[in-house]
Amino acid sequence: MADKLTFDSIRCGDVLPEVTQHISQEDIWHYAAASLDMNPVHCAPEWCKTAQVFGIPETVQHGAQTQSLLCKVITSWGYASGAMLKRLESKFIKPVPVNSTCTYGGVVTELHPVGKGRDFVTVELWAKDQGGDKIAVATAQVVIPQ
Amino acid sequence: MYLEEIEKYYETEKQKVFKADFLDETQIENYEFWDEIEIGKGSEIPAKFEVKAEDLKAYARGVPDDNPIFFDEEYAKKCGHDGIVAHPYFSAQVRFFLLQGGHGSWLRTPGSRNPGQIVEYFDPIRVGDVLTLKLTSYDKWIKRGKYYMRARCDLYDQHGNLKVRNYTTLVLPRTKSDVLKFVKGERALEA
Repeated sequence: MADKLTFDSIRCGDVLPEVTQHISQEDIWHYAAASLDMNPVHCAPEWCKTAQVFGIPETVQHGAQTQSLLCKVITSWGYASGAMLKRLESKFIKPVPVNSTCTYGGVVTELHPVGKGRDFVTVELWAKDQGGDKIAVATAQVVIPQ
Repeated sequence: MYLEEIEKYYETEKQKVFKADFLDETQIENYEFWDEIEIGKGSEIPAKFEVKAEDLKAYARGVPDDNPIFFDEEYAKKCGHDGIVAHPYFSAQVRFFLLQGGHGSWLRTPGSRNPGQIVEYFDPIRVGDVLTLKLTSYDKWIKRGKYYMRARCDLYDQHGNLKVRNYTTLVLPRTKSDVLKFVKGERALEA
């Protein structure tokens, strides 16, 4: 187990380790089974050729999967130290077509020393596609109990 | 055909009983459309979601997030948690399981789009929790020709503790007629 993260060890400007994830149609189907979101815009390639909900004839990654991968930046960084999300606000900027490879990351922007066990930090999260275009942003508040 | 592909990833009892076909025209009759959404309307969904370890594990695997904190109880306790942890967006699975028609059916609407979400966490979801969903139609608006709606989804456990609050926002096809076009695979929204 890695060294425990403590509130006192965190500084504004700390950069969280990035997560990179390629998403195939099989990955989208797997996420659909996991989330029970079986909307055809994600799951039905033939339907997407004509329906074109996002103006493209392809399926797209679930917004909830994008959000979950943004969360993975937080869970990988802090959950082994007992950290837990307190609040998350996300905005999806650009649809992510099937077979995209996106990178997810974050930086600590605020420290909130509100009391032992309740101290929390704010992390600005971002996600970019393989072309460097931003696909999503989010603001996370994370309780660091130690 | 695509439903058979999704079934290959089923791991839990709930996945096996879920009504997976969002393009089944007969269930659209029981949907609520953007035009009909009444702001302030609230309801308590009668179905319940009993959280099992297999549900938490299946969600994390689908993300994919292979952190053992989501399936290894001993490891999770060593990390300072009181048991297996729910992935922060596990509530998506709960909402889709509970909202299969009527109030809240926007979630399943073919042609709907997800512009962003707000999640507030009050108490960790744990194995053994029996979750109920209180739903409020919170806001709807038109922006750049698109029809938005926001619902407040509060998940409570069997003791009445608020666990998670989601402000679920969607861009929706406006009318039943628009939704039925999507069901047939026809374009019904400006991109």
